[in-house]
Amino acid sequence: MKVERITAGWLPGLRDDEVQWHVLPFEHGAEPEGLRLEVSVPVLTAAQMQALAQRVREAADRHLRAMPVAGIIDAIDRVIARLLDRSDPFRREAEAWLPVVSGYDADMVRLGLTGFFKTFRAAQLRRFVAEDFANPAVLDGFQPVPKGGAVRAFGPDLLVHVWAGNVPALSLWSLVCGLLVKAPSIGKLASAEPLFAGWFARLLAEVHPPLAECLAVVWWSGAGGDAGLGAEGAAALYGQADTVLAYGGNDTLAALRQRLPVTTRFLPHGHKLGFGLVGASALDTLKAPAVARLAAWDVMRYDQQGCYSPHVFYVERGAPVPPRAFADYLAAELVNLQQRFARRPLELEEGAAVARWQQAVEWGSGDQELIGPVDAPWSVAYGDSLQALAPTALYRTISVVGVDRLDDVVPVVSAQRVFLQTAGIAASPEELYRLAGLLGAAGVTRICAIGAMSMPEAGWHHDGRFNLIDLVRMTEIEQSAEAAAQPFAPYAD
Amino acid sequence: MDQASGLNLRGKVVLVTGAGRGIGAAIATAFAREGATVAVNYLANEEAAARTVVACQAGGGDAWAVKADVGSEPAVQAMVEEVAREAGGIDIVVNNAFKPYAFDPERRSRFDDLDWRDYQAQFDGAVGAAFEVCRAVLPHMRRRARGSIVNIATNLVEHPVVPYHDYTTAKASLVAFSRNLASELGPVGIRVNCVAPGLVYPTQGTQNTRESFRESLMAATPLRRLARPEDVAGPVLFLASELSGFMTGQVLFVDGGLVMR
Amino acid sequence: MDKAAPLLADLLAFIAMDGCTDEQFDQLALRLFAYQYESNAPFRSFCQRRGATLRKVKTWSDIPAVPIDAFKAMELRSEPALPGERVFMTSGTTGRAARGRHFHPRLDVYDLSMTRNFARRFMGGAGHMPMGILFPDEQAMPNSSLAHYLALAKSGFGTADSRYFLTPEGLDLPGLCAALEQAERTGQPYALLGASFSLVHVMDALRAEGRSFRLPAGSRILDTGGYKGQSRELPLEDFYAGLEELLGVPRTHCVNMYGMTELSTQFYDDGNAVLPSVKSGPHWIRSRLVEPVTGRSVVPGERGILVHCDLANYNSVTTILTEDVGLWAEGGFLLLGRAEGAAAKGCSLAVEEFVKAAAA
Repeated sequence: MKVERITAGWLPGLRDDEVQWHVLPFEHGAEPEGLRLEVSVPVLTAAQMQALAQRVREAADRHLRAMPVAGIIDAIDRVIARLLDRSDPFRREAEAWLPVVSGYDADMVRLGLTGFFKTFRAAQLRRFVAEDFANPAVLDGFQPVPKGGAVRAFGPDLLVHVWAGNVPALSLWSLVCGLLVKAPSIGKLASAEPLFAGWFARLLAEVHPPLAECLAVVWWSGAGGDAGLGAEGAAALYGQADTVLAYGGNDTLAALRQRLPVTTRFLPHGHKLGFGLVGASALDTLKAPAVARLAAWDVMRYDQQGCYSPHVFYVERGAPVPPRAFADYLAAELVNLQQRFARRPLELEEGAAVARWQQAVEWGSGDQELIGPVDAPWSVAYGDSLQALAPTALYRTISVVGVDRLDDVVPVVSAQRVFLQTAGIAASPEELYRLAGLLGAAGVTRICAIGAMSMPEAGWHHDGRFNLIDLVRMTEIEQSAEAAAQPFAPYAD
Repeated sequence: MDQASGLNLRGKVVLVTGAGRGIGAAIATAFAREGATVAVNYLANEEAAARTVVACQAGGGDAWAVKADVGSEPAVQAMVEEVAREAGGIDIVVNNAFKPYAFDPERRSRFDDLDWRDYQAQFDGAVGAAFEVCRAVLPHMRRRARGSIVNIATNLVEHPVVPYHDYTTAKASLVAFSRNLASELGPVGIRVNCVAPGLVYPTQGTQNTRESFRESLMAATPLRRLARPEDVAGPVLFLASELSGFMTGQVLFVDGGLVMR
Repeated sequence: MDKAAPLLADLLAFIAMDGCTDEQFDQLALRLFAYQYESNAPFRSFCQRRGATLRKVKTWSDIPAVPIDAFKAMELRSEPALPGERVFMTSGTTGRAARGRHFHPRLDVYDLSMTRNFARRFMGGAGHMPMGILFPDEQAMPNSSLAHYLALAKSGFGTADSRYFLTPEGLDLPGLCAALEQAERTGQPYALLGASFSLVHVMDALRAEGRSFRLPAGSRILDTGGYKGQSRELPLEDFYAGLEELLGVPRTHCVNMYGMTELSTQFYDDGNAVLPSVKSGPHWIRSRLVEPVTGRSVVPGERGILVHCDLANYNSVTTILTEDVGLWAEGGFLLLGRAEGAAAKGCSLAVEEFVKAAAA
């Protein structure tokens, strides 16, 4: 078995031989052609972490805070241009290794990366800033406000990121947010995807070196890092951060929140439960197969690991194509997609979870049936009556539920309010807006086309929050200060 | 063995209609030899069906006989239910049964002798039977999001060497029926294809053809002989298996090259 | 019920044999499969969905394995319910609401399976021994298969002075110490049997009192069931070291029994001097290690989910899919714990987290 080694992370001001490294092994393919990738991730002591925090803070003071947002956008755009260039060495690394660490089909990763990166070009970034700030200049200096006086937005003093794995390059979101609000950042790599954030920092160092000085990428074991490798460094960092942005399950997030001083701003992004609605108007014999095809793509992308990934499609009765037939179309499209983008091999425990879900469908209340052979690398459960919204076993296991009216779904999903985020809808414009009103009230924060569920658009409001505004604090010069200053001017009468 | 042939039919459940004798029996036996479980459908000749079953078992597969008139909806429903109960599902269907027809080039019915009812009867026998069987098996195939249906047509649809008007018109309809079904079922993962044999000898229907006619047919055939029942089985197995996984709506001619297209 | 009588008679005779050939095992497994397939409609449709019909199941390993969750979802039985039949239930400590139920219209098969195997694997041919049971009795826990198992051990293999030391009031430590002291004094080998967590409680109590014993040679301990949240989680190494230290029973004589409510036969190891110990069962139970989604056997050397085909499970289903991870080893298999749902790596909600959130 061939062994490859990659050094991950990004530690400005620290030499490789000064820090401790931990090896995360990934195996791809079976013997003898198989490959073993060993990713070394940096584990810092408390003193090293403190020094690192100090260093990125100072660098941000020197370089980042003085840089106009337009300049930052320009630098990120140049990084993204290189990530979109399939001949660029970094892009090649990403295409070569992200499938190995994630286990995902290489083509799926390649398509996913391009689709993802292109939402971070200059034009999209400007839109991203404009989404949150009516006048983006508030990030650069004090701007007059209609009520009188002036206002300026300041980013965090030190932004700490705790990333989740398995959606490759997920860290790009928060890294870009941090840069746009001019925050020095230290990110903690996910053990399941410890590569991308470090590459981003290295690319930034090539494109605009001072910016890369303002961020660092480290690792410790577990999200909270309360025990185990690197716990000491994690504790030092959490003590220093004024804002912590974290992805993970609610248990992890709760444990993490416990560790933070009450004054630290905590921005958690928990696991979510996506679903889709297919209205009768989308279910004639011509349109239904096309919608099913798009739905299958949403299920396939990253094997449902995204927070936006669907677990259930609710399909309205009364159209030429009944819900059960829609499920058949969806199943067949999943068969096809398996040919193009194979599901990643499951670990024993993951396989056991999939089997348990399938069996629960089979032995359940009786009105749910499993479509497809039980040993297929996908699974569609068809249910003819409305049940509680519950997650599937992921890895291309999807429920299709027939409903009399899409409105019937609203109370069912609103019962899972805390887990709601994305809803895909295929329905007429009137239906779309009517349902959007009901779903929004129920807790849904993102409504998109079926087929776009796992591809959020540039500048979306993740979990319904303002990505940038949540990071900044506003400093206001009140009218009174302005007025009171007048008499002190040298030119005062 | 499976890997070598690539057919991978071991354990697959196959329903062959009209499998008591002739082409149907050869197809059933060929499936059994690949390790498939075969439901041998027959209309009346219990003894012939039993012989097919024995041949299947001798070939290394499993088989049992199922009596049903494929022209009768309730009979077909009951048959398919029995197959599903007995074998846990249906992976492959071969619609081979057809209304008895005397192939006799010298005494065939001329157009003027025919009645619309003759056409109707052949249409019912070819398309009607396939319709009933497909209707009954599709729920089982949909449930697994896969399946393969092979319908037996004739090369006469392309080249009516002998104009058996009613018979060939019905078989041509069966081809069109198969292609429409292929088009509709493709998106749900079920394939429908046809095998169109030339004159197959010996079968009960072709016993009355004269030696001289057969000789002339062989002379016109590039491969210089007539089809044997086993010749038909090969392409049927191929279309039933995953080896043809990207083919649907096709017609394979098994006539020694008489028809080329 | 009448049609089952010859089958039952043959099954009892089979268990009574000293061993069997592969053909003999297959033959009885297939007869039992046919009986259960015919008598149990939900099981039949489960099999049919897998294409595993009477026609297609040719050997015991073709029999579809029923997940243990099915024992919670429905009544898996081949005989109609009888008044007064025994129902063994799972403890329900796994966090999922419903309890699995295993119906035993008659217990003779279970009892024969237990006693034949127990005599060989735990008693090792020894005659009756004084026994201490660290588990409630059958009156206190009529739905516990373990309570019945221990009652059988006591009545079938214990001397008259054998007794229970776990009462509704809790552990009778003075009584237990007295029994242990007497064993030390008389030199008669003693057997201590019970739930693993009860033995943890005993060890904790002995340590708290600063007491320890040296039971006579030939004494033995049987533990089963793990801790189930009833005591602190003790690593196996510490557990067996503690038993040896506090009770003076060498680890070679500390036997762990692996059993399940859903089975009628138990697995044992041959002591726990080396961990993890190798588990094996008698000739009327066979196991496979499978990849859970396809149900295919894993290649040797790889971990798999344990499937057991227990011929003594005549009324429910012979073949069950557990949630236990195993690995083949010389002479049996190693138990590597439960296949808990893998930690979510992405950002999509996983069932485990959802269930936990719903339970909170």
